[in-house]
Amino acid sequence: MPQLDTSTWFITITSMTITLFIMFQLKLSKHSYPSNPELKPINTSMHTTPWESKWTKIYSPLSLPQQ
Amino acid sequence: MNENLFASFTTPTMMGLPIVILIIMSPSIMFPSPNRLINNRLISIQQWLLQLTSKQMMSTHNNKGQTWTLMLMSLILFIGSTNLLGLLPHSFTPTTQLSMNLGMAIPLWAGTVLTGFRHKTKASLAHFLPQGTPTFLIPMLVIIETISLFIQPVALAVRLTANITAGHLLMHLIGGATLALMNISPTTSFITFITLVLLTILEFAVALIQAYVFTLLVSLYLHDNT
Repeated sequence: MPQLDTSTWFITITSMTITLFIMFQLKLSKHSYPSNPELKPINTSMHTTPWESKWTKIYSPLSLPQQ
Repeated sequence: MNENLFASFTTPTMMGLPIVILIIMSPSIMFPSPNRLINNRLISIQQWLLQLTSKQMMSTHNNKGQTWTLMLMSLILFIGSTNLLGLLPHSFTPTTQLSMNLGMAIPLWAGTVLTGFRHKTKASLAHFLPQGTPTFLIPMLVIIETISLFIQPVALAVRLTANITAGHLLMHLIGGATLALMNISPTTSFITFITLVLLTILEFAVALIQAYVFTLLVSLYLHDNT
């Protein structure tokens, strides 16, 4: 049984630890799952929008219609 | 002959360098991380499969147990993909290494047991003695239950190692027999070949089942301790 030769155990365990506990978990944590299309209360769902924090044209008041 | 049979289970080196690092890391290439707004087919199938598995496996857990979802899902994917890649001809299967399986089993088992002792001390200690034991058997049973607790990770690792090693050995032996019989008796060789094909199909199933069993048992230990 070459599996019982302990000289290679360190490198095997180290590479397994890096792969399983770091690489795989980082990859899987990036997965995103679409939530069910059900009605949610509006104030609980906060959207992160890039224009929120700064003043842009979107925030400027609508131009009034020509009288 | 004996050396030959087990030759495919020695950790491979190339020019004295351990390429086992690359081999163990290679399954992660199969799982590209999604970085687009709309995923491609491969990632969509993987996410669907992962969602199905996690729903099936983690729905029995309470909230504390469900925090382990990422760990258990990466575990089942890692073992499953390693096993399946190891079925390619002339490839090395890292899951045949007892060291790697022990390295996976011991931390996960220790994690569940320590969680149990940290948060549910009384219930964890109660596992050491079944209800309704006769008084004179109590010391004996506590010892036996302690041993059975500590044997769990070893059983977990040895189960995976033995299953994968035995499957590869069988395929190696029957494949060799098919080749050797080819010149002697083609009919017998054909029968062995059919056996080999069936065995290969079984090995594909075993590769996935063992990944599932390993994860399921860790999940079971977690369920007992949360």
